[in-house]
Amino acid sequence: MKRTPRAKLLENVLPALSVVAVLVVWELVVRWRGIAPILLPAPSSIAVYLWRMIVDGTMEYHLGVTLLRIFVGFALAAVSGIALGLLMGMSRIVYRIADVWIAALYPLPKISLIPLLLIWLGSGEAYRIVISAVTAFFPIVISTYSGIRQADRGLIKAAMDLGANTRQIQFKVVIPAAMPSILAGLQLGMGVTIILIVAAEMIGGSSQSGMGYLLISAGQVLETEKVFAALLVLAVMGAAIIKLQQWVDRKVAPWIAHDNR
Amino acid sequence: MDVIVDGVTQIWGEASTQVVALDRFSHHFRSGRLSCLLGPSGCGKSTLIQIVGGLEPATQGSVGIHAPGRPQDARPLGADSVMVWQNLNLFPWRSVIDNVAFGLEMQGLGRDERYARARALIGSVGLRGFERHLPGQLSGGMRQRVALARALIMERPILLMDEPFAALDAQTKIVMQEELLKIFDQTHKTVLFVTHAIEEAILLGDEVVVMTARPGRVKEVIAINLPRPRSLELVNSPEFGALFDRTFHLIREEVSAAMAQQDAMASAQS
Repeated sequence: MKRTPRAKLLENVLPALSVVAVLVVWELVVRWRGIAPILLPAPSSIAVYLWRMIVDGTMEYHLGVTLLRIFVGFALAAVSGIALGLLMGMSRIVYRIADVWIAALYPLPKISLIPLLLIWLGSGEAYRIVISAVTAFFPIVISTYSGIRQADRGLIKAAMDLGANTRQIQFKVVIPAAMPSILAGLQLGMGVTIILIVAAEMIGGSSQSGMGYLLISAGQVLETEKVFAALLVLAVMGAAIIKLQQWVDRKVAPWIAHDNR
Repeated sequence: MDVIVDGVTQIWGEASTQVVALDRFSHHFRSGRLSCLLGPSGCGKSTLIQIVGGLEPATQGSVGIHAPGRPQDARPLGADSVMVWQNLNLFPWRSVIDNVAFGLEMQGLGRDERYARARALIGSVGLRGFERHLPGQLSGGMRQRVALARALIMERPILLMDEPFAALDAQTKIVMQEELLKIFDQTHKTVLFVTHAIEEAILLGDEVVVMTARPGRVKEVIAINLPRPRSLELVNSPEFGALFDRTFHLIREEVSAAMAQQDAMASAQS
């Protein structure tokens, strides 16, 4: 479809314009109707609170702590999930054993493990990292395994024909062929890691840090402006992490973008 | 090297749902000749060259590779042949040069040596300057050349080609056919070329092995005694026309038989 420059301009400007429009309406409604800031603060006062929290460093501190936890939890899940997924894909025995456990544990909502983990690990760092890593582990291990299993038979045969031995086929063909699936698993894993870290910071946390803690503590004292400010920062953080991950994916596996098979 | 296929039968599936893909296929493919296997789709021609290439075990029968002055079965089946696949099977994550050099890499050859050889071959198939491109960035014809180079670098005496040009557009196909003729005239490999295009089979082949509809058998072997080197102008000669007619009549019966089979299968399923 051919688009006129005018249509293109509208397409670029309208989304931003809609955001501005919503903010303006929000601001005006709150002011004219005199809505209490506890219920719905005006965008301008949220911005003021956000600015203050950035200037005094509380936002950076909580955001930094949360980011650190997310990356530690994610790294643990990624390393263990990919490792087990690869082993399951390559060894029938490992698959048989692991499959029983995965079938039993995967459907379990991982947040239901929170009471148990609090008993075992206490309410410190270990609990938050473990709950997020355990949750992210499952999508990663399953995607890795199915990527290995679904590796193109044609490519494997071609490699055999060109003289590759079993080990070479595994490392030079099957694992690269599984990359798109592994990366998709990592994206899913990152999504649940973010959710679980923030949730664990809200529930049963004793360290009084992190975006989840910031949200719940501001909410409890009805500092609604702070709640909104924290939500805004969380949304931006999530978007930034997704963008970063897509960028890494393109660096790691540039062929996926133009693999038109 | 001669390829002697003796009574090869291939049966897929379990007892109740058995499909006989090949039924006692026997033929002597002579050394240094280009043999075309022509047949309707589903006649087992792809299966046959995979069996010859040692990539599928045959249910029954045997394939012997005979080289002068070498005891039979000195090397495992597949060690003397290399395949060019219908869907190419290029490794999408490997650059052109790493695709071409794949076989040498598997042999443990050092990077410099395998790149030098791959570069020479990439140049000879007209892809100089595209060494670092990924297959996904190339056109169909260029990908086809990569697949050819990846096979040729193995320097194996038998070349197995499974409808390699079927997916190409008409012009690219003509160019690739002429290229293959040139390579064949220079290297004199033993070539088994699977196709369902009559014109292609006659233009390229020293002989055309016409196969029956499933189960695939040899229906007739047509010798193509047209002079080499050949080019596309040959298609307009009366000899070519006569061979085309003869082959067409043979294959027409088999195509109708194959279509009837497919109809029967479709109605059995519905």
